[in-house]
Amino acid sequence: MNTKKVLSWMAIPAMVLAFSSQAHEPAAHNKKAEKADCGAMAKMDHAVMNMKDPVMQAMMKKCMPDMHGTDEHDAPEKDDDVSQKLRHHHDEEKH
Amino acid sequence: MGAVKNCVAVVLLLGTAGGAFLYSGIYPMGADVPHNKLTHWLLETLREKSIESASKNIQVPPLDDPNLLLTGGADYNDMCASCHLQPGRSRSDMSLGLYPAPPNLSQPEADHNHDHDDGDEQVDRNKSVRRQFWIIKHGIKASGMPAWGPTHEDQRIWAMVAFLRKLPTLSESQYQILTARGASSSQEHQ
Repeated sequence: MNTKKVLSWMAIPAMVLAFSSQAHEPAAHNKKAEKADCGAMAKMDHAVMNMKDPVMQAMMKKCMPDMHGTDEHDAPEKDDDVSQKLRHHHDEEKH
Repeated sequence: MGAVKNCVAVVLLLGTAGGAFLYSGIYPMGADVPHNKLTHWLLETLREKSIESASKNIQVPPLDDPNLLLTGGADYNDMCASCHLQPGRSRSDMSLGLYPAPPNLSQPEADHNHDHDDGDEQVDRNKSVRRQFWIIKHGIKASGMPAWGPTHEDQRIWAMVAFLRKLPTLSESQYQILTARGASSSQEHQ
């Protein structure tokens, strides 16, 4: 009986240690992951967007499925495709 | 012979005085009391010269890949933003409570305290990039800055550096999109 009690008390800190050691695994973050607010991107001024800027390219990469719908684009896109779409989107904004 | 005796006497005197100061406990160690100017200068000079020397041979890879920003952004938000802040957030419990105060990395580098001015913009940029990589990887003693090297590969640290280069230029919306680990909010409802 005493042995069981001791083991159960030892198990608690062991579990705490085990979980804390995984704290910076990307998979662990995914559980509490915040969603990208791509709606805010639609409100940005497309006329001043620099399509060669890595920041803009990264944002488009993150939000592209959202802007064009996931049904049409099941396959992952290459960077060049993203850039083309960016330019196309940019042109549409101008007209 | 007399000069040698005097030198020994001075060294002994300084050693005794230093030991007495050390063991007296009179120096304030609380993070809420700043160092005096001399100690501050000594520690800051020691830190900057040490980092400059240790990081001078680091090879900087290309940092323009948008994928680096997405990886580094998410890591920055999880691991760094509570101390080093983000667009739209000028203070936190950690940024106010830590001493030395962690630099606000959402502001341009010129607004931080350490020296960058070597005259050549490209040289300054590379020096700054190497410095950031080294600090993230190795941390800084007695400052609250941990070493992420033991638990993170170099590639992941370079991604954080790539994100840091862009951070001062980001708006709150851009920061939110780049640092979110999940898919977009509207995809969640589909």
